[in-house]
Amino acid sequence: MKILSTIYKEFLLLVRDPGGMALIFIMPLALVIVMALVQDAPFRDYQEVKLDVLFVDADADSLSAKIRQAFSASPNVNLILEKDSAAAKRRVQAGEVKAAIVVPPQSSVRLRNKTRQVIANVFANFGLPAQVDSTLLPSTDIKIFFDPAIKANYKQALSGAVEKIIANVQADWMLDELQNQLGEGRPETKKTEINLTDIIHVNTAYASENKYQGVMLNSVQHNVPAWTMFAMFFILYPLAGNFIKEREEGSMLRLRLISGSQFPVIAGKFAFYFLVCLVQFVMMVAVGIFVMPLLGLNRLVLGGDALNIFITACAVAMAATGYGVLIGVYFKTAQQALSFGSVSVVILSAIGGVWVPVYVMPEILQTLSRFSPMSWGLEAFNDLFLRQASIGVILPDVLKLVGFALVTLSASVLIHKSRTVV
Amino acid sequence: MSSVVRLDHLVKQYPNAPKPAVSNMTLEIPEGAVFGLLGPNGAGKSTTVMMLCGLMRPDSGSVAVMGLDMQEHGAAVRKKIGVAPQEIALFPTLTAYENLVYFGRMYGLKSSHIHTQIKKYLSVFNLQEKAHKQVGTFSGGMKKRLNLIAALLHQPKLVILDEPTAGVDVQSRNMILDFLTDLKSEGTSIIYSSHVLEEAERICTHLGIIDEGKVLQTGTRSTVMGDHPDCFNLEQLFLKLTGKNIRD
Repeated sequence: MKILSTIYKEFLLLVRDPGGMALIFIMPLALVIVMALVQDAPFRDYQEVKLDVLFVDADADSLSAKIRQAFSASPNVNLILEKDSAAAKRRVQAGEVKAAIVVPPQSSVRLRNKTRQVIANVFANFGLPAQVDSTLLPSTDIKIFFDPAIKANYKQALSGAVEKIIANVQADWMLDELQNQLGEGRPETKKTEINLTDIIHVNTAYASENKYQGVMLNSVQHNVPAWTMFAMFFILYPLAGNFIKEREEGSMLRLRLISGSQFPVIAGKFAFYFLVCLVQFVMMVAVGIFVMPLLGLNRLVLGGDALNIFITACAVAMAATGYGVLIGVYFKTAQQALSFGSVSVVILSAIGGVWVPVYVMPEILQTLSRFSPMSWGLEAFNDLFLRQASIGVILPDVLKLVGFALVTLSASVLIHKSRTVV
Repeated sequence: MSSVVRLDHLVKQYPNAPKPAVSNMTLEIPEGAVFGLLGPNGAGKSTTVMMLCGLMRPDSGSVAVMGLDMQEHGAAVRKKIGVAPQEIALFPTLTAYENLVYFGRMYGLKSSHIHTQIKKYLSVFNLQEKAHKQVGTFSGGMKKRLNLIAALLHQPKLVILDEPTAGVDVQSRNMILDFLTDLKSEGTSIIYSSHVLEEAERICTHLGIIDEGKVLQTGTRSTVMGDHPDCFNLEQLFLKLTGKNIRD
């Protein structure tokens, strides 16, 4: 009954505090939407971005035609024709476009001649009739200019794509030339059409049992659970602030004067803010599912079992509330508690992978992240949302969160008790 | 008459303080008394009250309340005492009624008893019309009255009041003092810590004048005054015992 009374009292205090209500419910929603929008572009990698690339076709022959044809089918590259290579370079330098591909004059001719020479040399080596030409033929130099500000993965992807196209053209032409030279003097022999792409296929798929196949870490999938946890840990702001306010205003003194354990006071606060954290979680997830798609973002996909998601949310809520209670009990002034509390939550969130995923952090931060409760929570949510993990997979992280909550809550009770009698 | 409070060679010194706040204090308060704990600023009144309530442990000596040692039976003692601290120990954004219901529940009282007690005391202190207003909107006098009600809900045998009339208007002060007189007549013991000597003269049956953590004079009001026939009132006696130097 004492715990229930404290929960009801905390409810009344919160609903009569518009600032606290805004901090708990409105700010986190605004934060998660803004962060998801801001981080949407960085999260979209080469596969999702349409890159404008200048194309200087000084060759005007089959090689440049093959390159144009290949990129015209690409959803990620938009080729813009440019006549002059110097102008193309200037436009890239100015940051107008991210890259320019320059196919120099005679590229097709040179590649064809070089291919013919290589095949003739091979024939000659095997004693087959061939017209060997020992002239050193010029190589084909295709240039790609990049904006220095281009992301490394875009640069790598574009270079790789061009090299792949050229390699395919080269392989095609070699086979063609091989058939030409073998068929010399045998006009009745028909050339075989060889499609190299039919020989071997590379299929990609996500190693997920998720019913929504193809769900991957995007801005929404990262930011909704990440900033939800941030908001839940930020519960310390109203919680600790309220705790210290009660101490400063004197109502806590009366509770200390009332006989019996202080446990109901702490437990009541803990239980109430735990429930608030769960409400925050539901609201943030609802925003991810229903609001984010309206803003042009991906829809949040809850891949995992609802019970497992609820268990994880409860574990995060316990850890967040326990931490808030500890901060409120330990610090003597609101200024100390709220300054330390806010900064510590920002640090825990940064090393926990809330701002950017842990895997892109330096190794030392990746090691440190193992000690952040937000990292445990985020890992569990990613396991559930993206990998549809079972309870066995998320259990270690859930237990760490519950353990963290129990340690902080026990420490809070001990500190509060020790200060009841000085 | 048995004693409701017995302080035995009580000592308390704060860390880094040059001298003890309470120094070898021995004091006995009889049951049913209204005991005025009087002293200038820094005399040790608040420290004594804190030890009496079990909020502070003495460095040495003992506190016994209603025969129970505070250090051993702190929880049991707190059930029997009601404390109205000088500061307003209430939640300002809760209504008067909500505050009292919450504290009643934390005292472990039954719901029906809580509501009966609240209605009774709100009526006694003329707060029934403000019962459902937030405490933050109350005047100083109303807050002090409500603060006192919160200390009385569980019908304690001993009530400890620290400056219960500080900052209140004449009408509220008069109401509080009248109530305390009635409470005493019902057999409740009261410890009344105050600077206001006229109030002590009006309601206290016993006095304890302390300074520098020591008891300078204690006994019934008449014996204390009788020991100093040259003093015509309590203020003269107080100044005679504690001096005229300003205390900060």
